[in-house]
Amino acid sequence: MTTVETTNVGVHKHKTLTSRTWRKRNLTADKVSFFLVFLILPVACYLTFVVSPFLQAAYYSLTNWSGFSPKMKFIALDNYRRLFNDDIFLTSMKNSIIFAAILPLVTMIVALVFASFITVGGPSHGNIKGLRFSSFYRVVSFFPYVIPAIVIGIIWSQIYDPSSGLLNGVLTAIGFENFRAFAWLGSIYTARLAVMFVVVWGLIGFYMVLFIAAIKGVPGEIYEAARIDGAGRFRTIVSITLPLIRENVQTSMIYMGILAIDLYVYMAALEGGGGPANTTLVMSQQLFTTAFTRGQFGYACAMGVLLAAITLVYAGLVFAINRLTGGKNEVGE
Amino acid sequence: MSFTDKPLHRRAFLRGGLAAAAIIPASSFLASCAGAGSDTTGGDSGPKGEVSDTNPFGMAAGSTVEAVIFKGGYGIEYAEFAGKMAEKLQEGSSFKVQAATNIAQTLQPRFVGGNPPDVIDNSGAGLISINTIRDQLEDCNDIIDAKNYEGEVIRDTLYPGVTETGTFDGKFVQLNYVYTIYALFYSASLFEKEGWEVPKTFDELMDLGKKAKAKDKFLFGWGKEAATYYQTMAIASAIKQGGDEVRLALENLKPDCWSMPAVQAVFQALEKIVKAGYIKPGGAGTAFTAAQAQWSNDQDFILYPSGGWIENEMKDQTKKDFQMTAAPEPIIDSSSAMPWEAMHATAGEGYVIPSQGKNVAGAKEFMRAMLSKEAAVNFAKTNFTSTIVKDTVPADGFGSTALVSQVKLTEAAGENVFTWQFVDLYGLNTDQLVVWNTFLQGGSDAAELTKGLQGITDRVANDDSVEKVEVK
Repeated sequence: MTTVETTNVGVHKHKTLTSRTWRKRNLTADKVSFFLVFLILPVACYLTFVVSPFLQAAYYSLTNWSGFSPKMKFIALDNYRRLFNDDIFLTSMKNSIIFAAILPLVTMIVALVFASFITVGGPSHGNIKGLRFSSFYRVVSFFPYVIPAIVIGIIWSQIYDPSSGLLNGVLTAIGFENFRAFAWLGSIYTARLAVMFVVVWGLIGFYMVLFIAAIKGVPGEIYEAARIDGAGRFRTIVSITLPLIRENVQTSMIYMGILAIDLYVYMAALEGGGGPANTTLVMSQQLFTTAFTRGQFGYACAMGVLLAAITLVYAGLVFAINRLTGGKNEVGE
Repeated sequence: MSFTDKPLHRRAFLRGGLAAAAIIPASSFLASCAGAGSDTTGGDSGPKGEVSDTNPFGMAAGSTVEAVIFKGGYGIEYAEFAGKMAEKLQEGSSFKVQAATNIAQTLQPRFVGGNPPDVIDNSGAGLISINTIRDQLEDCNDIIDAKNYEGEVIRDTLYPGVTETGTFDGKFVQLNYVYTIYALFYSASLFEKEGWEVPKTFDELMDLGKKAKAKDKFLFGWGKEAATYYQTMAIASAIKQGGDEVRLALENLKPDCWSMPAVQAVFQALEKIVKAGYIKPGGAGTAFTAAQAQWSNDQDFILYPSGGWIENEMKDQTKKDFQMTAAPEPIIDSSSAMPWEAMHATAGEGYVIPSQGKNVAGAKEFMRAMLSKEAAVNFAKTNFTSTIVKDTVPADGFGSTALVSQVKLTEAAGENVFTWQFVDLYGLNTDQLVVWNTFLQGGSDAAELTKGLQGITDRVANDDSVEKVEVK
């Protein structure tokens, strides 16, 4: 069982020793209760509430369960075969993948730029600090994150309203007559951009604050040194900030990606019907309709399994890219 | 155990944790699919009481009935009213009326667990597709064969054809309570002021569009969630023009059913209206309630195809002295198979009684109370909408012009009343909305509209996993 590198023999011996002594000791009530509360209970909860529904759903995906009766028939992989012939589902999958490819990237870039301005992008002389009023900007840009996603969706669907919305009102007022009654959420050319803008708007503040915290953890001397060497603001972001907070960016990318693959709440508020020509239909919406409107839970579960698989592949990709671009060096270790 | 003694260790662990975190949101979707795997035996209709004239279904004395009512435009007060009536008649019993807005989500676990409520108003956007539960429901024939609270046989008090919409493969499982007529709604006061006539054909509709344009108004308008109201109008027009064969072809999901001459004539007429710019632009991005207010309050457009619920729905957003009035959908020309006055009407708000309910007899008693004249009049009065019970609306329509015009429409239509169910039965509306939104904003022509709709129909027709209902 033990694989040891020769140079590490000494250390290894020490560890085996401790584990042996551990085994020798009797299990006191103290220890048992500790195990119970901090290990067995959480694991049991995890198995019951996370793992078992997951497995159960995977099983249902192999049945023709309608969802409204206890009866179901095992149909093996038929649902999955159907998935790849269902052009509406494939459209929703394509849309989800597009959102997952664009949203995290855009959000991260903008959040990083803002975070840099607020922490280190200030005047190019004197101490390293952010722009004037940076704490005000920080608070303001965090505001949207405090609003629940559904409210954001409703607010923006009003702003985008073709006839009485704020956006078209402003555009026509400054002379763009073409935008009178222009349906931002109803045109196949703008719907996707319009919803993506709302999502980015809603989440930028959160990731910005996250990055601010990370950048504050970087010693200011590094930035001072970079400045003395003549690095501009852009160069500082790319060559100093980004490598030093790489791990934070990776984690953020994954969280944002999960959100982008889901997007259910935003879409329910902005494009409940899947948008013009289904250009904004996402997998979670299609899953919901299949399960509750059409009463095909087995098929919906198959969609869920695929959704989970895509999420995992996405997470894997982010790790892989991070590693390929040099993340292995573990700066800041 | 393996100890490599590299600092990477802790990070690898965190990565694992992160990967696990990635699974959790996905699994919350899957968790909603969880259901009981066991096979529960149904059919136990609970304790029985003595059958008598005042208790025709033998509801057990002092028993409880649980009713879950969709809380939408009609509220639930009318059901509570009927519950109180039943409580008064069946002494000691209790009728619990509960509101729900999302029927499928709320009741799905209870269906799987084998303990559904006794009676359900299966309506609203989140209704349970009747096709998935219809083999678990009671036949409602004995309810309408019973006498109502005033002593008349219920069947004789109903509008004709109202049981057909709830009958699937010969079993009457869904008792649709509200009588809904579909029509073209307009403001009588506005039409009078401008000297406009109600259009009877699509040619007249085009002319009206021109006249409206001259007054800076549009002919039609729509909201993104309600684009298919135009499909409802188009199908009605096509059925009037082409006759019953159009209806049957659509109902039975026949290949090329959308290419039938009558359907095509209507689609082409609509295309002309779209191309002429008589439809208020921007509908694909407008919430349907906002769009409806543009009609009933701002009067940006002058005609709106909708159903009898529209007056109640827009009660707070209707211009003063609007005089909302219903008119039949236009036909192509006078060679039509049915007269212009023919009417698309159906019964909605589907009440169902699950066979597995604890008190099936009590549930039937509740429906008997609902179908009694007193409860039906109460519904008409509070909601400005007629139930399936005839003659509950007085001549003044409780002061509602829309209700009066609906009654007139019903009288004028006589026997020429039709409806169809394939859209709701197979849950096609979501997909059709997309096609209609594109068409109405000028993004596609009649040919593309036909192709899109046929694709949606064909997908269901060719899907063996969907049980079909044959309509004759």
